Amino acid sequence: MDIFQQVVNGLTVGSIYALVALGYTMVYGVLKMINFAHGDLFALGAYLALTLFGVTTAASSGSGWLALLVVALAVALAVGAAGLAAERIAYRPLRHAGRLPPLVSALGVSVFLQNGIMLVWGARPRAFQHNLSLEAGLTLFGVRISAMQIIILVFALLLMVALYLFVQRTKVGAAMRAIAVDHETARLMGIDVTRIIQLVFFIGPALGGLAGMMVGLYYHQLNFTIGWSYGLKAFTAAILGGIGNIPGAMVGGLVLGLAEALAAGVSGQWKDAIAFVVLILILVVRPTGLLGERVAEKI
Amino acid sequence: MGFVGMTEMSLRSHTRRFRRMGGLALVLAAALLLLAACGGGGGGQTGGSGGSDGGQTGGGAGTSGDEIVIGVIGPLTGDYAAEGQGFKKAIDLLVEELNAQGGVLGRQVRVEYADTGSKPDQATLAAQELVSKGVVAVVGAYASSETEPAMEIFHEEGILQISPASTATHLTEKGYENFFRVAFLDSAQGMFAARMLVQNLGAQRVAIIHDNSTYAYGLAEWTRQFVEQEGGEVVFFDALNPQETDYTALLTAMQQANPDALYFTGYFSQAGLLIRQARDLGIDIPITGGNATNNDEVINTAGEHAEGFITTTEPLPPDLPYDKARDFVARYREKYNEDPVSIWTAMAGDAFDVIIEAIRQTGSTDSADLIAYLRDELEGYPGITGPITFDNKGDREGTIYAAYRIENGEFVLYIEPQF
Repeated sequence: MDIFQQVVNGLTVGSIYALVALGYTMVYGVLKMINFAHGDLFALGAYLALTLFGVTTAASSGSGWLALLVVALAVALAVGAAGLAAERIAYRPLRHAGRLPPLVSALGVSVFLQNGIMLVWGARPRAFQHNLSLEAGLTLFGVRISAMQIIILVFALLLMVALYLFVQRTKVGAAMRAIAVDHETARLMGIDVTRIIQLVFFIGPALGGLAGMMVGLYYHQLNFTIGWSYGLKAFTAAILGGIGNIPGAMVGGLVLGLAEALAAGVSGQWKDAIAFVVLILILVVRPTGLLGERVAEKI
Repeated sequence: MGFVGMTEMSLRSHTRRFRRMGGLALVLAAALLLLAACGGGGGGQTGGSGGSDGGQTGGGAGTSGDEIVIGVIGPLTGDYAAEGQGFKKAIDLLVEELNAQGGVLGRQVRVEYADTGSKPDQATLAAQELVSKGVVAVVGAYASSETEPAMEIFHEEGILQISPASTATHLTEKGYENFFRVAFLDSAQGMFAARMLVQNLGAQRVAIIHDNSTYAYGLAEWTRQFVEQEGGEVVFFDALNPQETDYTALLTAMQQANPDALYFTGYFSQAGLLIRQARDLGIDIPITGGNATNNDEVINTAGEHAEGFITTTEPLPPDLPYDKARDFVARYREKYNEDPVSIWTAMAGDAFDVIIEAIRQTGSTDSADLIAYLRDELEGYPGITGPITFDNKGDREGTIYAAYRIENGEFVLYIEPQF
């Protein structure tokens, strides 16, 4: 009974990791670059949602669900736009500069965003208030599941499937995969490389922003450093699942969440230590991650 | 490897672009390295130069007859920023009034603030910053984990330091002559909490959660000891990670131990999350917290779930049974249109007042004189939070604790202040 509750706890946290990990893995898949600013774009989404919910809750006392839809759309667009801006300003000029400069640039964007968030929304934790009743839950055989937990898990699954189909079944998706193999050849084949990369930098951050909104809704509190802590875990999840692999990000997130929850059942203090030992062991056995196939050529 | 298939022309244009943008990357890299250096190795260097010219500037400020500089170190930003800003507001108020009355020893007092960012590593830098500014004495810091590294710097320089809020017992076990605190000790709070849990709440099986910080772990240990002395049993003792927001796994493990009450010794930022998640999991035992949870942020985060949460703490400033406290609260409200953030705001005021009193009584701005006075002579100084006397370890004598319970979204006195 206890173990089932821990599985539910782990799946909830894991699906948030998975949502954030999708953004890391998408950018990596196309550009072979780790967008360290992704965690902070996630935080930006959470804070934008906090402000927008404040406004919409005041404006419409009625349907909270309509507000949710509007806010989700606005957050996705705004954070997507921020991702585009980051790509234009910090990454595109360095696209041919090798691997390390964009990495450093990404760290710079991360520091910029985190401090920007602190200056705009303040350094103290902010309560995320909304009038949606998401607490309604059910108890199955002594296991508590709340509506929000189900929403998060389903949402993460849906996004993963949609993203996977988009990349595998559409023309644009094929272009993304082509770029992932070789930029120059893709360009010679008539693919507008810059446009596709822009698209990736819109979709990835937009998903991250939505994940941020979910975190705010679920936990009711934000801290300007959440981008860093969730970003690190999501990045780990992406590596664990096989970076560059979209279903891998989902699997990696869920496995990491489960490992943490089960470890916490043993000892809260040693939770991260236990979880990471398990993860390292997995990576020792499968260096390319759970679902990773391609062998990484460089770091 | 992307370069392989390139034409010569595009290669040239890329090289040019790289050269143009390479500068930007270098600057960014340098900025990052600088940040890293500040966080780590930079410490020794600043410490060294501070040591050599600290005396010089200190002496200069002490004899030149103009301003007396007092330092305040605290979390002006970061997790505990609310408390650090409270320090600043209290001391701004007091120094303004002091200077309006002509200062002390006929000299004006200037306060220098240094920010710990709520982090232990930044506390060291903040302490060095104050040393290099030639401060006579220092108020701060807030959390025991930031006071501890700062203590090392001030101890080396022999500068008087009074912490308003750091309650970890072991801080004064180091035997540092220059360190004092106006806060009462964790051991006293642990005893008060244990009595409340076992006697008032009738809890035989107690769960204790801390966050591995110096203060929270210390208070948790003391509480465990006193709960057992009171005849109760500690059935769960573990820590959460304050960097994270999800504690459901830990709470599920706690539920398994079947406790009658939970005592959380960490900070307010986590308390709200913890309460909400416990209630969502269907845990309905009384949840109580230590004096770092005495903050409205708990109510903002936990919402209606916060109802019934109990915090053991020094009384809120308006509940202090002293005239000076009532007066302080009135002046504070007048200036800022709000109540003091917490008891620590009043304690910060007391730490500052005690330093000024020592300067006034000794007629000196030399830390050694001030330290000797505070240790041996100051007795029953009427502070905002009650009479202040330091014992030979630098701890404040006596205690005063109360318990508050959240009712209808407000902290309401639950157990009257006990001395």
